[in-house]
Amino acid sequence: MTAVSQRFLFWTIVWFCILILSVPTIIVVGASFTTANMISFPPEGFTFRWYEKIALARDLQQAFIRSLFVSTVCLIVSVPIGTLAGLALARFRIRFANLVQVYLLLPFTIPLIGSGIGMMLIFGEWRILGSLWPIGVALAVINLPFIIWSVSSAAGALDSDLELAASSCGAGRFETFWYVTLPGVMPGVITGGLLMFVLAMSEFLVSLLLTDARTVTLPVQIYNNIRSIITPDLAAVSSVFVVIALFAVWLLDRLVGLEIFLKSK
Amino acid sequence: MDALNRTLDIVWPARMMPYTGWALLMPALLLVGLLVLGLFQMADSSLHTLDRSTFLPSENYTLENYRTVVENATYGKIIWRSVLGAVLTVFFTLLLALPYSYIMVRTSSSAVRKVLLVTLFLPFFIGQVVRAYGLLIILGTTGVANNALGLVGVEPIRLLFNFPAVVFGLVQYMLPFAVLMLAPALTAIPRETETAAASLGANWLQSFRHVVIPMAKPGLIGAGLVVGTLALTDFAMPAMLGGGSQDFIANAIYDQFFRTADQGLGAALALMLVVLGSVFVAIVISIFGAGTLGMGGKK
Repeated sequence: MTAVSQRFLFWTIVWFCILILSVPTIIVVGASFTTANMISFPPEGFTFRWYEKIALARDLQQAFIRSLFVSTVCLIVSVPIGTLAGLALARFRIRFANLVQVYLLLPFTIPLIGSGIGMMLIFGEWRILGSLWPIGVALAVINLPFIIWSVSSAAGALDSDLELAASSCGAGRFETFWYVTLPGVMPGVITGGLLMFVLAMSEFLVSLLLTDARTVTLPVQIYNNIRSIITPDLAAVSSVFVVIALFAVWLLDRLVGLEIFLKSK
Repeated sequence: MDALNRTLDIVWPARMMPYTGWALLMPALLLVGLLVLGLFQMADSSLHTLDRSTFLPSENYTLENYRTVVENATYGKIIWRSVLGAVLTVFFTLLLALPYSYIMVRTSSSAVRKVLLVTLFLPFFIGQVVRAYGLLIILGTTGVANNALGLVGVEPIRLLFNFPAVVFGLVQYMLPFAVLMLAPALTAIPRETETAAASLGANWLQSFRHVVIPMAKPGLIGAGLVVGTLALTDFAMPAMLGGGSQDFIANAIYDQFFRTADQGLGAALALMLVVLGSVFVAIVISIFGAGTLGMGGKK
């Protein structure tokens, strides 16, 4: 159906996109197996040496554990709050709903540097700057729209007659919520939680603003090390993020199917 | 369960039902309130200048910091560089994203579609630092790009730490966002419109220009504004691929807080950036409505 010239032009552009999107990732993973002490291309030899090295490096280990902790805090804060808000937006008639939506989108509309600096000043005022858990809270704030969106679209797809049926069969309000509504929106909650966790793992700018030498998380640690020198062990650390991302994409595809993002609203 | 039901009846009796929606929203409203508080704190900071003798913020309120930003040529240059970078990024990103989403939406092979989707989502989850790191390795003087050029007899050239490198990094970073915003807009265009155009004698360029692009316009504008705002306020790409010589506004703000420790000036800059970003966003919302992200199950 499409003209040959169109196919040729479009596919050339698509291949160019695929190239610039995936080559950096492939290069990073490839570089982590090089036997040379500096990153070189094509990689020389094949070794797991750098993975052994990072597994033994205390600073990287601790940064990784801190990242896990921060992401867990982000999950604990954002999942209940985001789920309730998502349900409220999809299930209840709310006055000024438009205004509420604009307000809840602030985390996306305020530039990250602004949000980060603002929370840094607030946390400084409250004397909690320098602890680890506020970073998790901050990451929950900046990504909150993701989980609200995923829960409210799951709740929008749920037939509200189910809840009416439950209550007409004698279920109390809490039982209806616990046995009908919550399981119904569970796919949305899980998807949202997954997004929150993975995005918190790899978040950089707000983490950079809120961490210090004692609370540095893994992405910030990578950034700090790049500033000084590029070495293969850094590529090995970065590969950890590639593995996490692969897992997240696979899980997202299994849970909701990536094609859902192509649907027109 | 019964006990829980009874507790609920006591703390939240049925006559409170009309307010349930607000009660469920309250934690989220408070959490986002942290950002609003932050903005107020920033506004307060921005009204105090740094006393160079004591290195403490001044007691009295003044607009001095804003005057410094407006009058100082360095900031003018940085703001101009950021805006130019953002405009170029929008242009190149849309140029690449439009064919990509078109092929992704229109391909008849679900395998191709899946591959194209995975290619988009993977970088999204990998995070900006690792992606910039990959680009650093590629563009370095002994990197892949220069080795490839060497094969055709071109001397190694400096591909890093200049303005084009930053724009390239930004385009690479924004591409998934743009495609994911464009794809639903293209899905909404029925295939038949193009067939109709073709049967009336339009070649593909004409039908693309006069049918597809006008119909995808809301998606294009939305994607353009989002990409523009994100590029304008980006920190990591200018910092890592610009090597300190290509600062954007966000880098200047960071330096004010962490290098020169002039909180007031940094806060003033940050607040101006927030205002600039909000203007962009206000345009998006007034064009598309607040439900842009599909929040709320509007029926």
